[in-house]
Amino acid sequence: MLIKALSGALIALWLLGSTQAKAITVFACEPEWAALTKALMPEAIVRSATTHLQDPHHIEARPSLIAQLRGADFAICTGAELEAGWLPMLQERAGNPKVQNGQPGMFFAAEHVTLIDPFKGAITPFSGDVHAQGNPHFHTDPQRVKLVAKALALRLGQLFPSNKAQVDQNLATFDAELSRKIVMWEKQAAALKGRPVITQHASFAYLWAWLGLKPIADLEPRPGVPPTASHLEKVMALSKTQQPAGIIIAQHHDPKPGRWLANNLGLEGKLLILPATVSDEQAGSIIRWFDQLIAQLGGLAK
Amino acid sequence: MSKHALLRLTLLATVLMAGTINLQAQTTPSGDSWQAGLVLDGAGTSRALELGRRDKGLGLGHSDLLVRGAFNEHFSGEAILGFHTEDKTLERHLENAWVQTRSLPFGLQLRAGRFASQIGYLNELHPHTDDFTDRPLLYRGFLGGHWYDDGLRLNWTAPTSFYLRFGVESFAGKKLVPEATADSRSRVTTFNIKTGTDIGKSSSWQWGLSHVNNQREAMVEAHEAADDDHSQSHSHSHAAMFSGKRLWISDLVWKWAPDGNNRNQQLRLNWEYAQVSRINRYADASMRHSSSSMGAVWKFNPAWEVGARTDWLRVNKPEEHEGEIEFGKGRLKENAIMIAYKPTHMQTLRLQFTQQRASGANDEGEAVFANPARRSIQLQYVIGFGAHGAHAY
Repeated sequence: MLIKALSGALIALWLLGSTQAKAITVFACEPEWAALTKALMPEAIVRSATTHLQDPHHIEARPSLIAQLRGADFAICTGAELEAGWLPMLQERAGNPKVQNGQPGMFFAAEHVTLIDPFKGAITPFSGDVHAQGNPHFHTDPQRVKLVAKALALRLGQLFPSNKAQVDQNLATFDAELSRKIVMWEKQAAALKGRPVITQHASFAYLWAWLGLKPIADLEPRPGVPPTASHLEKVMALSKTQQPAGIIIAQHHDPKPGRWLANNLGLEGKLLILPATVSDEQAGSIIRWFDQLIAQLGGLAK
Repeated sequence: MSKHALLRLTLLATVLMAGTINLQAQTTPSGDSWQAGLVLDGAGTSRALELGRRDKGLGLGHSDLLVRGAFNEHFSGEAILGFHTEDKTLERHLENAWVQTRSLPFGLQLRAGRFASQIGYLNELHPHTDDFTDRPLLYRGFLGGHWYDDGLRLNWTAPTSFYLRFGVESFAGKKLVPEATADSRSRVTTFNIKTGTDIGKSSSWQWGLSHVNNQREAMVEAHEAADDDHSQSHSHSHAAMFSGKRLWISDLVWKWAPDGNNRNQQLRLNWEYAQVSRINRYADASMRHSSSSMGAVWKFNPAWEVGARTDWLRVNKPEEHEGEIEFGKGRLKENAIMIAYKPTHMQTLRLQFTQQRASGANDEGEAVFANPARRSIQLQYVIGFGAHGAHAY
């Protein structure tokens, strides 16, 4: 009796799954890649596993994410070990052959750009969250976003040939818009060149390199290791010799250490808490996000 | 643990660290690299717990050496060599050695080899990620702490917007009931449902229901005098202390973090309940073992967590006494509080205070749980080298 009822329910679920609408479903690990996919393929159903308020290193392989990956036709993630703590578990649990590593349906953005600061040397339990392949937060560099967009368009075109023409056209639009904006942003941020800043984690390292900001200290003693009192004292001593223009942390960081340092250095108005990625997954949000970053950073110019 | 064993472990850790660097250097981001890792769990315990797995004094808890990766696009695999100290000697056991499919259609997955059963919440999770120094009484009483066995598993993940998974497993059962009666059939099968999803941006939950059909009836042990020293060594058994033909487990987990950002703060609640029925051929149909575990952990800072857990266990322990099978009613309660410091994600330093109370005796008036620890303090340090794989929810 029970077995009959159960198998009935199973068959019903199966049918439900197979008759669902056939729109292309995309799983994005981070919202910037969701937004990029949306820009190239607007009619796809794209969902991001994380938001700008979450630390992408520390996501749990939650049941909802397993279900999300189970139903995906395509997955796009950063790679370079950023999701090492959760994506492999999702892939193992989801039972979805399309999004296993090595399949065309699993796209890692890091494979299409060069990374800065690869960690050299022995990785020990005391090294913190270091990445042997380099800093994975490259979405804060619009030039690298352009490279990822090109590679993504190519992959989407191969996987979904009926969408290829439209994807290529959207890529051209996106690329042209971004190129135009980059010139504008560089002009806007020209006064930031050489300005010393204190940061937390390497979340914006590519942005600093692009705009010429000079990070002089990190609130984290080692990457991914929460700020400690003794380390903050050191950063403070250093700041007295090299007066920083501001302290910049991400919205997903615990704001307390940054606030403490800002108060102690008399930099209350110069603590910037920036979103480390886009706050919505719409097609135009990457450009809006850079607009916002450049505008907020403007406060640190002389 | 002997000096020799320590030396070998240190050597192993060094080799592994070097090995991991090599592995990482060779891999491309998307490549299916093989990963290796070592986890050591050392603890000092002021008093051994009833049904506990840690000796009084210093010892090595559940530690493991892990290798995992994908063979090709169709199969992945994992092997774990587990080890711990027991009465000052190092015990080793092959805990995992399995192959799993990665290319079956319709959300199906097949696994074969030796692996931890997916029943309950904690059983398939690595013990070194536990929030307390010892597993709940439920696991120590009914599943030997961490039940892995030789068998097959078939899972189906439904194509639903929330998580829904059905799974069946078939095991040889020798790890659960090592010595079965001669007329026992020799299989243990499990059925398991897991479901769960998010509630808003900040919280998520998972519920599981598991059933174990255990065809192996445990041999009834001969009665031993209460003052016998052996009562302690029993608690080291890796098999189920209290078994029966039917086991049901219901497990519920709920987690909350502001905006879903569990890096800075998180509240985790979990509750598990289990019942064992049809204890053996001599037991009344109404006789049961049962157990419950409720835990709460609050991460109040990226590096700090506090937690509390309350467990109880009620059993009917069969014993042979002068040719008669008698059942001793035993009750054990355990409360634990802990504080943990996690400076990096590869290290945990935990201080735990545990309190046990026992009641119930057999027909001879001897306590079923003879050695409850009224108070015990554990100081535990867990350290990982190399890769340690992604964690489950």
